[in-house]
Amino acid sequence: MKTLYAEGDSILHRASARSKLVGLLLAGILTFLVTSIPLLIGLLVASALLLLSTRLGLKDLLRRLVPLAVTISILCGLTMLLQTVETGIISLLRLTLLLLVSTAVTATTAISDVMDEITAAATPLERLGLLRAADIGLAIGLVIRFVPEVAERYEVLRDAHTARGIRPKTLSLLVPLIILTLRDADEIAAAIDARGVRR
Amino acid sequence: MDIRFEDAEVRFAGRTVLLPVRLDLTERRIGIIGLNGSGKTTFARLINGLVRPSKGRILVDGLDVTAEPDAVRRQVGYIFQNPQNQIILPIVRDDIALGLKNSRLPKGEIEFRVQAMLERLSIGELGGRRAHELSGGELQLAALAAILVTEPRLLILDEPTNQLDLRNRNRVLQTITSLPQQLIVITHDLGLLDGFDRVLLFDQGRLVGDGVPADVIAQYEALAA
Amino acid sequence: MATKDIVLAALFAAIIILLGIVPAISLGFIPVPVTAQSLGVMLAGAVLGAKRGVMATLLVMLIAAIGMPILAGGRGGIGVFMAPTTGYLIGWAFAAAVTGYLAERLITPEQTGLTQIVYFFIASVIGGIVVLYALGITWVAFFTGIGLSKAFLGSLIFIPGDILKAGIAALAGRAVMVGYPLLPQRA
Repeated sequence: MKTLYAEGDSILHRASARSKLVGLLLAGILTFLVTSIPLLIGLLVASALLLLSTRLGLKDLLRRLVPLAVTISILCGLTMLLQTVETGIISLLRLTLLLLVSTAVTATTAISDVMDEITAAATPLERLGLLRAADIGLAIGLVIRFVPEVAERYEVLRDAHTARGIRPKTLSLLVPLIILTLRDADEIAAAIDARGVRR
Repeated sequence: MDIRFEDAEVRFAGRTVLLPVRLDLTERRIGIIGLNGSGKTTFARLINGLVRPSKGRILVDGLDVTAEPDAVRRQVGYIFQNPQNQIILPIVRDDIALGLKNSRLPKGEIEFRVQAMLERLSIGELGGRRAHELSGGELQLAALAAILVTEPRLLILDEPTNQLDLRNRNRVLQTITSLPQQLIVITHDLGLLDGFDRVLLFDQGRLVGDGVPADVIAQYEALAA
Repeated sequence: MATKDIVLAALFAAIIILLGIVPAISLGFIPVPVTAQSLGVMLAGAVLGAKRGVMATLLVMLIAAIGMPILAGGRGGIGVFMAPTTGYLIGWAFAAAVTGYLAERLITPEQTGLTQIVYFFIASVIGGIVVLYALGITWVAFFTGIGLSKAFLGSLIFIPGDILKAGIAALAGRAVMVGYPLLPQRA
């Protein structure tokens, strides 16, 4: 499957995943404490520079930013109309700023590094007996392993409909897709147990 | 290893899936044959505790499988009928390494063993591939590598050549027969049983044949006629 | 936790991800294209029950968080947790929990098919619409400063599509239960 990580050797690429994630969290909190528009503009410029420092190409940047930027513009435009113009501008600056910073973090942090941080963050939960941290990695691996499998099955089901002259509908595809997919659960679980992966 | 069935039987939802079996398996090459739904897979799954006996018990080198499934599974590798369901992680190399994760071996040693295993099965180039892109034969060999890397002493294979073309079937067959491990093979591919020491025949949940391949295969052919 | 629960949650997470890739459901009478992903969330609760349904949605969120573009429209990355629509995403876990809990509570194998469908529909509406929107709207309201009442009014256009999804979830949930029952019984 595709990932949003882009290889590179910028300063952000070299920074540790933990510092980037903690930094992003702090940026999120701080942004909402700032209410001065000039200060927010300054921070926005800084975050734009941060994103540019990752040396992502323009096309790539647009592909990453546009979908959420559209949502943000619509919502902030509505806020300007329905509340005050100032409220709208402040939230536009805040949300765009966070979009830029988080895009920079996502593009420069490898999936395995984020996974390690998630596992580390889950260790306290493990001590409480709520889950096993190692299971998170196993489960995420399973999902990524089976998405292409489920997609293939979906196509086969669609073709099977077409071959029998039935127009594929969401419901008539979804039910067999779910049953066929979940029916493998016993076998997959048995294989995991047989291989002694969870001990 | 010494696999001992002591009147083990399996009932499921009021139906008897396997009638009581009492036998001792010590041979190096053991085949299991029978019609679909005759109880072959249930019998094999009792050996590593994937199915629990409703009555009686199974001992593997003296260990009670129901009481100590983990200890038994460390020694017994099991290859499923559909290797698709057996491969857990997306990349072949990661999946093979998964079995060594609990071994406390250093990372470099795990990588080395994984690559050595891939090369032993002549699939060194598959390490970086995605599991869902593999062909049937490659999938079967990758699943085999993931089990062999943990060095089990006994290997159970459930229809290992099912759905393979002739070239892949021969490749898998060659790999399997050259393994030093003790083997239990469930199969409809009777040519696989050449040179086996002992073959068991199941019919309707009952063990009906037990002997050298030629005799038991003849019995099976009469039964299926 | 049993291995099978982990596997079921993972497989369902794969289904939810797939529903974000396949073409959106076209409803004809509503101009907004509806993604099937939130249908997957209702179904996770209805098919797997509360606990495993929640696990499935959490897995989808985690996989988005680590940087895979698996949410509808190819969205992903840590940024989806700092966006105005984040409430709807985090809300998935609560939606699956409530849908699953209600389904476990309300539905028994002895009921007629129609009763089961109606109960699945109620569970999907309460979990997948009432609970999800409550969280989503609150988040939007405070994140953008647009205010609760206006955020509420603005989200009304999505309700008809989601009611239809609850209907599909009810029919599919009941059909799956007949074909391969997994829903834990609580009643």
